[in-house]
Amino acid sequence: MRNVDLFDNYLNGTLSAEEKTNFEIQLNSDEVFAKAFNEHKELIAALNLHNQSLELKAKLNSIHEKEFGNDAKVISISKKEKVKHFGRTALVAACTAFVVVMGAIAYVNQGVRNTTSQITELGLKLKASNEGIVEGIKEGSRNPVYAPANMEGSAFALNNEGYIITSFHIVNGSDSVFVQNNNMGRTVAKVVLTDPKLDLAVLKIDNKAITKNWQVPFSFSAKTTDIAEKVFTLGYPRKDFVYGEGNLSSQSGFSNDTCMYQISIPVNPGNSGGPLLDEQGSVIGVIRGKITDAEATGFAVKSREIIKAISILSNDSIHVANSKKPMLKGVKRTEQVKRINPYVFNVLVY
Amino acid sequence: MSKPNMQLSDSQFLQGLRVGNNEVLAALYKKYYNIVLKLVVNNSGTSDAAKDIYQETIIVLYENARKPAFELNCQLQTYIYSVAKRLWLKQLKKNGHTFLIREDDEGGIADVTEDIALHQQKENDIEKAAKSLESLGEPCATLIKDFYVKKLSMDEIAEKFGYTNADNAKNQKYKCLQRLKKNFFDKNTVEQSEIEK
Repeated sequence: MRNVDLFDNYLNGTLSAEEKTNFEIQLNSDEVFAKAFNEHKELIAALNLHNQSLELKAKLNSIHEKEFGNDAKVISISKKEKVKHFGRTALVAACTAFVVVMGAIAYVNQGVRNTTSQITELGLKLKASNEGIVEGIKEGSRNPVYAPANMEGSAFALNNEGYIITSFHIVNGSDSVFVQNNNMGRTVAKVVLTDPKLDLAVLKIDNKAITKNWQVPFSFSAKTTDIAEKVFTLGYPRKDFVYGEGNLSSQSGFSNDTCMYQISIPVNPGNSGGPLLDEQGSVIGVIRGKITDAEATGFAVKSREIIKAISILSNDSIHVANSKKPMLKGVKRTEQVKRINPYVFNVLVY
Repeated sequence: MSKPNMQLSDSQFLQGLRVGNNEVLAALYKKYYNIVLKLVVNNSGTSDAAKDIYQETIIVLYENARKPAFELNCQLQTYIYSVAKRLWLKQLKKNGHTFLIREDDEGGIADVTEDIALHQQKENDIEKAAKSLESLGEPCATLIKDFYVKKLSMDEIAEKFGYTNADNAKNQKYKCLQRLKKNFFDKNTVEQSEIEK
């Protein structure tokens, strides 16, 4: 039995009397064991405390709303308050402009983190106006008219089963997610896995009609790519498919993050979630972002980390394309791109 | 569901909190809100800020009242006022305000230093748990909460998440927990870098 299971059983009181005695003996004699147990207890206690705190806060909010109302001002307050309220509205409006104009740009800078949370809030606010996404189909017209998405980015196929990968920051807080490209048009995708730390999300296209003939022409490399190797990326920084090439500049990302590569390809908002490929056309990473104030410096999460994370999160139920032989090795770049194109998507998030 | 005229003594309030009585909590909340509202609003705060400070105050009281050794050495009203004042002063300082709070301490002030320290420590743990759960990802975060907080059995979890059996679910919970532990005990885990996405 694994230690963790032993800890759980001990805390749940499901050990037999003999097991319990043995457990306590080990606890008193084995320091490493005792430390692991204490950490386990500490973590579980924190999880429960966190939950209690959420419940209590929700309770207090509902009491407050019932007794004092959301907007009720029990004491009439000076003008100051009104000004403050106005200020907040203005801030939200400013963020609207930010989101609409900048599309997929979202800063992770700590100092601006508040802005990010305001964007999330805003996402909810825009909901009402977005209910017409698919309703915009004009009678008699073949081309549906879609409302602009709240957030856009890139994504690409993970395997032949309709799973695709993108950046978590694109789909974070999403109401609905669509993917599209010239090959298949637009379809719904659902978020099945997320890894906020690596900034990854796995989506699934459930429409069998679209995915039944999928033959993903690339596999995910489990190796670390060498510095200076030629690499290229594909994605949707705007409505059309865009190719970019450069070299691998570093085997670590910003602040020496070893889960990432640094590349010399100028990536743009909307490139996030797109594939980073090597000369043989194997996926070596997912484009994550670029450094603020630096042109031609992009970052990508290593494919090795992606494989690991998906294995853990999916309990090995989602497999990542990994043929031994690179399928596009020796193929001309233009042909490589042509074959990869149908498996790279524009992600639209509402 | 507080009754319109629920008249409770201080010790009845505390007893109610101890046993987790929602009616008592609502009555308590209703009774002392105006004191804190006045305190905050008279000292350059908005009613929204007052609501936040008041709720945190109630949480401090709630956490401390549930300690077996808790003793109230003053009136409940004084206690609430004292905690709220400390919390609001802290907030003002954090926002860079240097001016003094306008005094209105007719009911006296109680020493709540330790009570607030306990609350702060709990808040830190809660924050740490929240952040490590947040960066854990799905379905791991839900699975962990289902097992350790909601106390679902492995069979229930296997069914909910579509795993073939309880052992498989247990295996997955193990992997998720290892990930969570790494997040929780690694101090730098939640630091984000300055990347523009």
